[in-house]
Amino acid sequence: MARMNDVGGMQGFGPVDTTDDTAPFHADWEARVFALNGALIAQKVYNLDEFRDAVESMPPAEYLAASYYERWFFAIRTLLERKGVVAAGELDD
Amino acid sequence: MTGTTHSDALISRRVRRLETLLEERGIVTGAAVDEAIDAFLTGASAAGGARVVARAWTDPGFRERLLADGTEAVTELGLSAGGVQPQRLRVVENTAGTHNIVVCTLCSCYPVRLLGPSPSWYKSEAYRSRVVREPRAVLAEFGLVLPPDVAVTVWDSTSETRYMVLPRRPAGTEHLDEPALASLVTRNALIGTAAL
Amino acid sequence: MTDDRYAPGARVRTVHHDPPHHTRLPRYARGKRGTVIEPEGRAPLADVRAQGRDDWPVEQVYAVRFAARDLWGEGEHHVVLDLFESYLEDDQP
Repeated sequence: MARMNDVGGMQGFGPVDTTDDTAPFHADWEARVFALNGALIAQKVYNLDEFRDAVESMPPAEYLAASYYERWFFAIRTLLERKGVVAAGELDD
Repeated sequence: MTGTTHSDALISRRVRRLETLLEERGIVTGAAVDEAIDAFLTGASAAGGARVVARAWTDPGFRERLLADGTEAVTELGLSAGGVQPQRLRVVENTAGTHNIVVCTLCSCYPVRLLGPSPSWYKSEAYRSRVVREPRAVLAEFGLVLPPDVAVTVWDSTSETRYMVLPRRPAGTEHLDEPALASLVTRNALIGTAAL
Repeated sequence: MTDDRYAPGARVRTVHHDPPHHTRLPRYARGKRGTVIEPEGRAPLADVRAQGRDDWPVEQVYAVRFAARDLWGEGEHHVVLDLFESYLEDDQP
């Protein structure tokens, strides 16, 4: 039942792109996602382990196709809907 | 970054919507979010880690304390391993006979407070999957070829301990002071994918 | 610290668990033999806390060293992981 995040020793990902990429965010929304997640954990809406669990629960094909912060947004949304902070579909507007 | 963001406008709209909802519900404020982003970007460098290394190179007592208890030792420089929840710092020392490399195979754990935001490659599946299995091949892709007799240890950050490498001090730097030494230290050397 | 089940140098074997939730024991290190380096400090068991439960046990976490040969059947390097006490069993030779 190991999930898609658990890649240690997995083969086939190819060479490492060693480009020294120093920009932490590539779009404003990524920075917002980063900060919102920090705030939600600080407010104890959920904890860090729940967040990791939610990232990992992303279906494997979707997980691999998603960018780093798209995974984060998926996890935040999953947890907020599960905890009833937002209603299912409420973010789709 | 892994994957491509072909739906940037869509997700951007959803994130804005999320922030609005959380503001309406009194969970966050826009100002606090801005502040958190600014704080993160302000600390976005490996300068802290580099200072720690330069001090360890020049102060044998500090080096000893650093290797024994990194969490405590870096507070002497006003630094901390930091993180969303309390983290322990463990500094691992490269020597003539040993080389250390840091990874997080399960997610992307990284000593952000000391090294700044992690590079994209650190979060990539390619690095995370391969470095535990074939570290020398991965290091070669970074241009670092280690002699065969150097023992390699890979540190997989699977708990709340964060790892930082204490690289070897380059030869011919005896005349340099601490700030000059710190300026020689690269982020990749602190992760273990480069030597100095 | 005296309550720690394992002392530095203890030979351990990781459990072969395969939970349907978050865990901090990667698949590549399950059912493997290693040596305890030292205790890393006590922490809430991530597996339980990730489920949003409040009854998580607090366990000692150990830095455990594995030979590449024991993980992959080849290689001369070592890999160190930080593992919760309940991921570990005494190694029976």
